[in-house]
Amino acid sequence: MTAHPWLRGRPALAVLASVAAVAVAAATFTLSGGSPGRAFPALVPAAAPAGWPHLTLPNGTAVLSYPPSLRPTAGDSDAVSAAQVSPRGAFQLYLNATPRQGDEQLRGWAAFRLRLLTADDAASARELAAAQGVTFRGGTGSCVIDTYVTRIGAHHYQEIACLVQGRASASVIVAAAPAATWAQASPLLLRAVAAYQVR
Amino acid sequence: MSLTFIRSAAGAALLAVMAAGCGTAVTAEHAGAKPPAAAQPHHPAAAHAPVTMPASPPGTTAPATTAPAPATAPAPVTTAPASPANPIPQGNGGDHDPDNNGGPSDGDGNL
Repeated sequence: MTAHPWLRGRPALAVLASVAAVAVAAATFTLSGGSPGRAFPALVPAAAPAGWPHLTLPNGTAVLSYPPSLRPTAGDSDAVSAAQVSPRGAFQLYLNATPRQGDEQLRGWAAFRLRLLTADDAASARELAAAQGVTFRGGTGSCVIDTYVTRIGAHHYQEIACLVQGRASASVIVAAAPAATWAQASPLLLRAVAAYQVR
Repeated sequence: MSLTFIRSAAGAALLAVMAAGCGTAVTAEHAGAKPPAAAQPHHPAAAHAPVTMPASPPGTTAPATTAPAPATAPAPVTTAPASPANPIPQGNGGDHDPDNNGGPSDGDGNL
């Protein structure tokens, strides 16, 4: 029996359609800002729960809310920080907000953050996920979730770091925890990031 | 021998000569068409010159970044820069931040 020419061409059409579908999926993934390997968690901007203290940047351009289990800690004079530290001095939870200081840009933020980490205090750093166009209270930001090992002490941290652009200013919020406890710490840290307010 | 026969024989001879010429031409054309294929093996060395790409240390290459605008595939992000632009001394150096003492990194711009 001889197949109709159109029917004989269908396998080729199916192959072409499959290739096209894969190409479209790959292009969509690239343009959507996803990182291979891990999806970026949803960040829904929301006011901090009642009872969470607040720290306002000295220049007044952003407000960092933090869980009551954290305490304000020392840092740069233009920044605010809060942390939960173990009795032995190990950081368990860490939050920091700092006004934009250098060449940080929303575009390319993830790469900038990783470069900064390895240029400053990390022996190695690796991106896990990234997102752009993240909505914050009062602004829009670019975020990266990465893991790094410090040069001092070889401490292994995981963090979410976001550059957030408000109406008239930009700032960076960092939420970090030891990589080993990130799974337990991240819900609270992400809640603090979602509550970050810029002006 | 009639004149008609002579004309016919001459015509046949002319046709035979033309046919032989065409055959030679076709053969020559085929011979001329082959060289590119035959010469192909001589080209790869020049056409596929070694591609030099910066080698990344193992474990330091991050996944592609997520810039939405470029239509071209983004280049892989390497997390180990050649040299720190403005390194803050570690070991309680610089601004005495926790991150200069093994603590989590803050959000400063390395200033």
